[in-house]
Amino acid sequence: MNGIQKVDTRALQTNRFSKLLSSIGIYAIAALFIVLGVVLQSMGIINNFLTTQNMMNIVDAVALLGIVAVGMAFITYSGHYADLSAPTTIALTGIVSVELLRFGFIPAIMGAVVVGLIIGIINGIVIGKFKANPIIWTLAMSYVSMGVIRFVWVNKQIYPDVITDDPFPVMLFDNIYRFRFFNAISLPLIIMLVLVVVGQFILKRTAFGAQLKLTGSAKRTAKFSGINVELMIALAFIISAFTTTIAGLAITSLSRVGAYYNGAGYDFRAVTAIVIGGMTLAGGRGSIIGVLGGTLVIGLMNNIMTLLGVGTFSQDIIRGAIFILVVGINAKTLRSMGRDDA
Amino acid sequence: MMRKNKLDKSKLLALGDRFRIYILFGVIFIFMSLFAPRFFNSYNLTTILRTVSMNATIALGFTIVMICGEMDLSIGRTATFAAVIALTLQKKFGYGISVPIAVLAGAGVGLLNGILVAKIKINSFIVTIGTMTILQGATYTITGGNSVSLSGDKVFAISDFLAKPLLPMLPPRVLLTILFVVVFHLFVSNSQWGRNFYMVGGNRTTAWLAGINTDRITITAFILSSTMAAVAGILFAMESSAATLNMGDNSLMYVVSATIIGGTAMSGGKGGILRSVVAVLSLEMLYTGTILFGFGNEVKIFISGLILALVVLYEAYASYKHEKTIGQRAVLLEELAQAKEKI
Amino acid sequence: MSSENLGLALKMVGVGKRYPATIAVDNVDFEVYAGEVHALVGENGAGKTTLMKMLAGSFNDYTGAIFINDKMVKLTSPSIAKSYGIGMIYQELSLAQPISIAENLLVGRLPRKGLFIDRDKMVSESKRLLKTVGLDLDPLLPIEDISQHEAQLVEIAKVLGTNPCILVMDEPTSALSQEEVERLFKIIAKLRNRGMAIVYISHHLPEVFKVADRVTVMRDAKKVATRNIGEVTREEIVHMMVGRSIKELFTKEKREVGQPRLEVKGLSRYGFFHDIDLQLHAGEILGICGLSGAGRSELAQVICGIEKADAGTVLLDGEPLDGLPMAKRVLRGLGYLSEDRKREGLALRLAMDDNILSAVIPKLKQGVVYNKRSGKPKAMQLIEELSIYPPDLDRTAGNLSGGNQQKLLLAKWMAINPKVLILDEPSRGVDVGAKMTIHETIERLAHEGNAILIISSDLPELVRLADRVIIMRKGHFTKIMDQSECSEESLLLAANTEVRV
Repeated sequence: MNGIQKVDTRALQTNRFSKLLSSIGIYAIAALFIVLGVVLQSMGIINNFLTTQNMMNIVDAVALLGIVAVGMAFITYSGHYADLSAPTTIALTGIVSVELLRFGFIPAIMGAVVVGLIIGIINGIVIGKFKANPIIWTLAMSYVSMGVIRFVWVNKQIYPDVITDDPFPVMLFDNIYRFRFFNAISLPLIIMLVLVVVGQFILKRTAFGAQLKLTGSAKRTAKFSGINVELMIALAFIISAFTTTIAGLAITSLSRVGAYYNGAGYDFRAVTAIVIGGMTLAGGRGSIIGVLGGTLVIGLMNNIMTLLGVGTFSQDIIRGAIFILVVGINAKTLRSMGRDDA
Repeated sequence: MMRKNKLDKSKLLALGDRFRIYILFGVIFIFMSLFAPRFFNSYNLTTILRTVSMNATIALGFTIVMICGEMDLSIGRTATFAAVIALTLQKKFGYGISVPIAVLAGAGVGLLNGILVAKIKINSFIVTIGTMTILQGATYTITGGNSVSLSGDKVFAISDFLAKPLLPMLPPRVLLTILFVVVFHLFVSNSQWGRNFYMVGGNRTTAWLAGINTDRITITAFILSSTMAAVAGILFAMESSAATLNMGDNSLMYVVSATIIGGTAMSGGKGGILRSVVAVLSLEMLYTGTILFGFGNEVKIFISGLILALVVLYEAYASYKHEKTIGQRAVLLEELAQAKEKI
Repeated sequence: MSSENLGLALKMVGVGKRYPATIAVDNVDFEVYAGEVHALVGENGAGKTTLMKMLAGSFNDYTGAIFINDKMVKLTSPSIAKSYGIGMIYQELSLAQPISIAENLLVGRLPRKGLFIDRDKMVSESKRLLKTVGLDLDPLLPIEDISQHEAQLVEIAKVLGTNPCILVMDEPTSALSQEEVERLFKIIAKLRNRGMAIVYISHHLPEVFKVADRVTVMRDAKKVATRNIGEVTREEIVHMMVGRSIKELFTKEKREVGQPRLEVKGLSRYGFFHDIDLQLHAGEILGICGLSGAGRSELAQVICGIEKADAGTVLLDGEPLDGLPMAKRVLRGLGYLSEDRKREGLALRLAMDDNILSAVIPKLKQGVVYNKRSGKPKAMQLIEELSIYPPDLDRTAGNLSGGNQQKLLLAKWMAINPKVLILDEPSRGVDVGAKMTIHETIERLAHEGNAILIISSDLPELVRLADRVIIMRKGHFTKIMDQSECSEESLLLAANTEVRV
């Protein structure tokens, strides 16, 4: 019974409490931000925080970012960090859908989805099968998509109502972003909530989710357990590209123009939301519910900073610093949990 | 007899692989000189050398980071950031003070990257995505979202001096770049410090066991990378007396492609300064050529994106293939070949 | 012949090293004289390598005191250890693959001329060092272009080149041919006569008797004893290593052998192994013995479907498996316990239940829902059967001790309800208690009519468990030995013999 005595009990404390804290905790932080907004407003430092309009603004922004983040979270969960081709996927699918609006609304949507899936499949094969570095490959992919946009559409911006004379598809397209149930709940919000529920279910309650968890936690072990890791990774990238495409449609509907700059910044904001939502870049940890919380925090933080008069770009500095801080803390804690855990 | 032939062939192939970047350079140069209109003349070649200066300078430090087995995605934004600082502060203090401050700011970015990678042990891809975003925010905050441009006789005199050929085809900025290249090449390939970069990239544990301070080596690599990116950005801005907010954005794609084409592996321990510089030059000739053939800028963007994708794909595919043969026994393969011959 | 008159080169007093979940070295005293070859033996995971890594400066948090030439020193980094003249030849080669031989040999001390490296001197110095180990290679070749045994000699030359006064060799002969081993022993003898203190770690007891003056045995992180080599027998050393008499370890019962369950015909993966035939019957334990690199693990990986075969076929209970992915083979009851527990076997960051159920995820599906809960009773039962400690399904696998991790890995493959299990080094690096449990479980599985294929470098393990042993050498089966012919010596001899049947 030598083996038993040799176990150092200090390392054996369960981290169930910290697990609970990390998934609930992010909502506590979100609540703190709301309190902060209310306090700042009552002190007269910011105006219009607690108004219906501002709350709707926050929710709408969270919905768009959330749609991207839920999909990208599958990539992070699989241990492949992030999809840097998300912004150009948003731009490209948006442009394609506007271009195809001349054939009607359904072909426009279908076309965008097909383009998005092609990008996802290429990413999935190159990263899953050939093990290219996900960051550098998706970066290259974003340059290629950008090249396609510049090559085919040069520097044109294309407008739905210029593409077609038929007002009906244009009206439908405009309403992807603008349609509201009961004049309050926007369509992107509904889509995001559905994606969150479905995403959480897939990740935590299906065999695919369990296999993705194993892939993200220990890829070689997953392979040696009979899991088709190449397929798992490819599916993660395809799921990400799919939700990014939905975001692309919504964002293009919002701006009413298909252009190469739509979607800029969504990659970094999404991955920041993912990591502060408790999903570590090491893979196999966290949940979609946590990611939703992370997105909420990012949305609230952006809103308060904007109300405080902090410029959009100065916000990047703060977001970048928070990202590095969270990732750094995660790296430290993961390492201190055991010598085998790099 | 048979075997010897085969060996010679594989040796030749290995040799070709070793010099592939120089061969590629020669092929592109000869092809463009023969077929691209207005390519082979001193004006165009000077333009190419001037344009290539920025990315060649960035590639010097970046190659070192890659040799160490790390990645620095913040190079382009560091170049812009430093350029913007140098020009903004010039208005108040003059270049004499603003340039050193901007270079130091660049070095500071590298120090931050290096510490986060070496000490906190965050993946360098992730760290530099973070610093990339921070730098973009900082650049826009400093400038309020507008390009910076300078005017005044003194400033213009400096830009003219940097751009006007001192020797045939060689303006001071190009000469400076050549000087950097020589210094970096000698440093990396011939000094103890330089070889340590290879050792750390080749096998970090070996280096550590041999008493090399691997953390310090990694941090130095990041500092050199950011500093050279800053220097490149500053010189570019000084020559044009202006800095746009996206001036460094294309450099990332450019320098990453060139460094990998030059034979510096993403896995570390391999490659060289000269190879990266020649690769940058080859790419620049290729892009200039496409423009000279009458294609627009959008074609250039398309091609350069495609090249990066192909290069990354090629490297991934090559290591995928290599992985399949790890542990293969040459004896057994020979046996198989003999058995086949008998049939 | 020990030369105690030269004085103590090294004295370690009460040293220890603990990891988050285990204690690797526990309060050990260890002494080596100058001009002595001191063998350090013990089972896998006994703490020999950790003890010597401590000496080489790999840890900055060891406890106890180390004296070198009677001076107390703090060896908290490799460079400090080096400055005291400690050189260590590592078991897993510490060479940088893409870098040239010369730079590997002279790492950290490249000859300089002014600011720059003196290339001519680098090459000539490297040639000289290579010659001392009998190699004639171009020093500018990268390590990845030379063979493994050449690399091992380069590693030895590299450490000798630093002129250490204390030299540690961790399994230096594992990849060498007989001839090269002889040459190495001559080198060792020469160094000893020059007054160097040499610590020689080996599994291979005949080697130890050939080369060492004294021997220290370690077991379960502790030192058992130190003896002069002339005053101890092999049996005594083994006894000290395993902690009980050999007889007790080698008890064995007869089993009924039934129908063939696994048949392999003409199986090849070109360049790794060729033309493999084997039949594995119900209730049989078949061992595969061979040196590392003989193609044993590669064979197992093709049989279980991780890699594709280039030729040949595999039958499970008479049905061909060709073309099926691993997942389908697992569903049919073919499991493969891989050699590398930490990288290929377990997901150390995940909980024990996630690990035990990791190969049966498709089995626990109900519609689209993955019902992990339905697998938990089985997981708990396996934990009890294998007495995995602590018996807590939520515990992270990485926090278990090595022995419990290995039992967890066995539980993972028992969870698939296997018919045929391929076990690749099933008890590597575990304590004696865990090893006993694992061996008993393997025998029980065979008793229940399963067929077991054991790949092992642990010869006593094969002798104890296997009904037949196949010898594999350089990608071929060279010999099949019946239980009655099997002994440690005969297996070792066969694995080293260049004959094909």
